[in-house]
Amino acid sequence: MNQSLGTGTLHILNKAPGHPRFIACLSALSGQDSLVLIEDAVLALPDTDTALPEHTVALELDLDARGLSGAAKTDQKISHQQLVQLTEQHPRIISW
Amino acid sequence: MTTLIVIDQAPYGSWAGREALDMVFSLAAFDQPAALLFMGNGVNWLRTAQNAKGIGQKTVEKNLSAAPLFGVEKIFAEHEACKRFMPDTNSRLADIELVASVKDLITRYDHVVFAG
Amino acid sequence: MTDSPARNNEGFLEDASRWNPEVADEIASESDISLSENHWEIIKFLRTFYAEHEMSPPSNRLFVKAVREALGDEKGNSIYLMQLFPGTPAKTACRIAGLPRPTNCL
Repeated sequence: MNQSLGTGTLHILNKAPGHPRFIACLSALSGQDSLVLIEDAVLALPDTDTALPEHTVALELDLDARGLSGAAKTDQKISHQQLVQLTEQHPRIISW
Repeated sequence: MTTLIVIDQAPYGSWAGREALDMVFSLAAFDQPAALLFMGNGVNWLRTAQNAKGIGQKTVEKNLSAAPLFGVEKIFAEHEACKRFMPDTNSRLADIELVASVKDLITRYDHVVFAG
Repeated sequence: MTDSPARNNEGFLEDASRWNPEVADEIASESDISLSENHWEIIKFLRTFYAEHEMSPPSNRLFVKAVREALGDEKGNSIYLMQLFPGTPAKTACRIAGLPRPTNCL
């Protein structure tokens, strides 16, 4: 996982691209924030219409389910346990 | 009477698409001409190498592969959405007919039903 | 027979991994079915179908269609399957084959 995570807000997004909440989440991100894609939101990775921030990770099991194991770099994939760690490291969390 | 069932939602996130699949299988069971169209986020149903075991669901790619055996006439996909989500044609299921115009396709069916 | 795997109120296995040919014989005998080569052909077909499609044929009609597609008209017809698996053939056959209950069979 990216070492620079942990200074800004952690955004946990589970909506598919195009969903109002998906759009709202991406426009709410600022410089130091981190984004975790889970469930439907992992489709943002192959989506050529979506530009993701640098600090983006995705739940590996949700990627596997959707045939997207190859769509993310190894250090972009996280387990449920790593997600829990991320929530502990960030003082502020938004679940979209 | 011909029926087109349209799935425009991402797989796994809701039950809507599975219900639609059930509907198209039921039509085929009674030999009613039926086809499926995947558009928008729905085209993500058509990606290869899915494995939903880890999230405790059945893999929709495998469920969908029963459609031709049951007599579902055709599986269509919106070309634009495929290019958007699966630009690499190797990552799409085979035997899918790409459609340039959803509007033209839906006018060819007596009944068009959207999932969810 | 000392350790029969758990089954639900309709006789389907709770844990699919507990299935084996002896379990199939045991479930079949409850319906007074003695498994022949013809039964086993359908059971093997169903298990392969499940492995490929992650579902049992959802209804009796689709069960018949799927058998017809794989094994031809002679076997893919409701009379033949009804003789092998009395009651609702899809349900009876899936129960014996250790697969989930077909979703649309009442």
